[in-house]
Amino acid sequence: MFAAGQHASTCHPHMIIAYRAGHKMKVSNMPVTEVKTGQDIPAGGVTFEWLRQAEDASLHRDQEVHTVAGVYGGQPFSVIEEFNFWRSKPELAEAVAAIKALTAVIKRSEASTMMGLEIELRNASDALKAWDETSISLTAGCNLFLRYVTRTSAVEYEDIAAGKARLIERGERFGEISQKARRTIAMLGQDFVHDGCTILTHGFSRVVLALLKLATANGKRFSVICTEGRPDNTGAEVAKELLSVGIPVTLILDSGVAYMMEKVDMVLVGAEGVVESGGIINMLGTYQAALVARTMNKPVYVAAESYKFARLFPLDQRDMSPSPRHVDFAEPIPPEVTVENSARDYTPPQYLTLLFTDLGVLTPSAVSDELIQLYL
Amino acid sequence: MVGTTSGYEAAVDQFVTKMRRRQVVGSQSSAKLTAELLRLVVSHQRLPSSGQAAALIEAVKAVGVRIIAANPIELALGNIVRRVLHIIREEDVSLASDSILDSTLDSDDEDEFGNVARQSALSAVSVAAATRNTLRAPSLYNLLESVPGTAATQVARVPSATESEARSRSGDRNLMSRKLKHNVIEAITELLQEIDNCHSQVAEQALEHIHQNEVILTLGRSVTLREFLKEAKKKRSFQVVIAEGAPRYQGHMLARELADVDLQTTVITDSAVFAMISRVNMVIVGAHAVMANGGVVAPVGLHMVALAARRHAVPFVVLAGVHKLCPQYPHNPDTLLNDLKSPSEIIDFGEFSDCLDGSPGGSRTHVVNPSFDYVPPELVSLFITDTGGHNPSYVYRLVAEYYSPEDYVL
Repeated sequence: MFAAGQHASTCHPHMIIAYRAGHKMKVSNMPVTEVKTGQDIPAGGVTFEWLRQAEDASLHRDQEVHTVAGVYGGQPFSVIEEFNFWRSKPELAEAVAAIKALTAVIKRSEASTMMGLEIELRNASDALKAWDETSISLTAGCNLFLRYVTRTSAVEYEDIAAGKARLIERGERFGEISQKARRTIAMLGQDFVHDGCTILTHGFSRVVLALLKLATANGKRFSVICTEGRPDNTGAEVAKELLSVGIPVTLILDSGVAYMMEKVDMVLVGAEGVVESGGIINMLGTYQAALVARTMNKPVYVAAESYKFARLFPLDQRDMSPSPRHVDFAEPIPPEVTVENSARDYTPPQYLTLLFTDLGVLTPSAVSDELIQLYL
Repeated sequence: MVGTTSGYEAAVDQFVTKMRRRQVVGSQSSAKLTAELLRLVVSHQRLPSSGQAAALIEAVKAVGVRIIAANPIELALGNIVRRVLHIIREEDVSLASDSILDSTLDSDDEDEFGNVARQSALSAVSVAAATRNTLRAPSLYNLLESVPGTAATQVARVPSATESEARSRSGDRNLMSRKLKHNVIEAITELLQEIDNCHSQVAEQALEHIHQNEVILTLGRSVTLREFLKEAKKKRSFQVVIAEGAPRYQGHMLARELADVDLQTTVITDSAVFAMISRVNMVIVGAHAVMANGGVVAPVGLHMVALAARRHAVPFVVLAGVHKLCPQYPHNPDTLLNDLKSPSEIIDFGEFSDCLDGSPGGSRTHVVNPSFDYVPPELVSLFITDTGGHNPSYVYRLVAEYYSPEDYVL
């Protein structure tokens, strides 16, 4: 069906639609006009073959919108349930659970072409994102897997059975990859922890904890200052974890960051998402800590796995999808008082020193390079 | 194996001893000697018929680890070892993909081999994709695609698929083995030339940066800087203010060398830098090493000059040959990468011996004489290397171009 040696994009057309958080894909019966911004009209022009496939796919999609959440090949299947099942395992991050759920979609898929499979996956991914619109790592994980599927099908596999098998194998390995990622980051980052240093941390991040535990296991003696982390009370959880491996911990109020900064040697945080500019989105208060650290010339290190890299470019703090969190105040507040209760903030790249990722140690300017390598 | 190694063992031992005794001074000469030694190692290696690149890499790594251990402060040694490893990997990959394309070109002629041609062409596409991935640093795509090890075995597996119908190609295989060594040695010779020419390459860019009637400030002495200024002197007239660079006072030597080419020079003490900085247009300095985050390991006193320049918005330009670019990050630069020299350079032993360390009255005076300073990347405006001018935030790209991530930890 495909002539040898022809470049993949001319013989295997597919529509790639750029994703932004919260963006919904439009459904249309005229696939030619749906192609966005000059991408992926095949080099040889729009052929009948391409049109036919695209029309088939979009017709197929109308039917499948219903099947994703309902009966699927005789068995009830919901991608959301699958996701929650994986999410309930404490060691798995959100993005990994999402990818495992999408792998399950591939397993149960009955599509006969790679394009059909991609459409199904896109629907499933939309459903997941709609279920939790605020989670950046979930969105990033879905986008990463979808992008990977698109690229794989374009380059290598004409036979759908082989292609599916490969994708399923990759998706299932992804759980291992995420564990390996944490270990790699811990190994890279613990070099930067020296004896006698004081580390300030904010928020609860399993990667940061893995890093600190590995540093202790390697015989380094250091102490940690962690912020209380209202309203999530992450501080208490972090303190418990660190005490269990014998790291001395000091708990401070969120407002005490500047007060303690002179005693601190470095700031180490995790990230919910790493954005294109090289900045990070993390729990509310990270930006504040980074600002104070920069003023007092302390390095700010971020530990984040590579699947958290998201295609976002926030220009200011309001430029992300809002994620409000309920806050308990000690006294009852009169209803006329508005409460600003965003759960996270954006730290621009100029306040970050280095990012520890499983791709290696990166400077913030190197992050956009990595993203381009993936998405181009 | 014993026979082949004794050829270069003596040379390696000699080199290691020289480095340990600090008889080789300066990153350029260290880099040159290391590259020459590694070229010797490569040419003496007798390679097995398959997995040659791996054998070469093992041999070079074994020697490289010894060289680095002999003088850990001289970062250029590790840089050159990693460059050579990267060269071996690159040549191996390009030879493998060349041989695949060769085999497809041959079998295209015959009709009966039509199927084979189609298979090989497709696999060539995937091999090219795999090689693109192996040469690049681990990326998000590679994360899902494969571990670098399996990609390499893909590359190795495809030749074996064509092996069965190409017994006559065994002659070609021997040719390929000799080709790898030959290509690697050629590439190392190019590397040596590059190290030799680094001063002139950097100096070529002098006219773009130094303008008429400018005042340049520097501290201590750098050969790269001297050539840079001499080149600019040919077409521009400007002045140079040189801070003497205690305790070794190498600024005096640079002043003499520049005065010999009729450049107007002013010598000041290090403490006068802040006083003079507002009257200066640009600060240009050399470096001992450039780290992967854009930070600079420079002769002591330059951090202070960088701070002064930042305070008065004066551009701080660093000249460095590419052999000084190090793929590692400074974990704890002030203590780890510093060379603490003898305190007698600062205080004469005779005059103050009664209050120095180990004296009968107990030590009341510690004398610390570090040779290097770490200048963080925020303070540097521009790097001028033999490949051109770069931002500190661009250094990671240069590192990715010249080094393979598998070699960062030897």
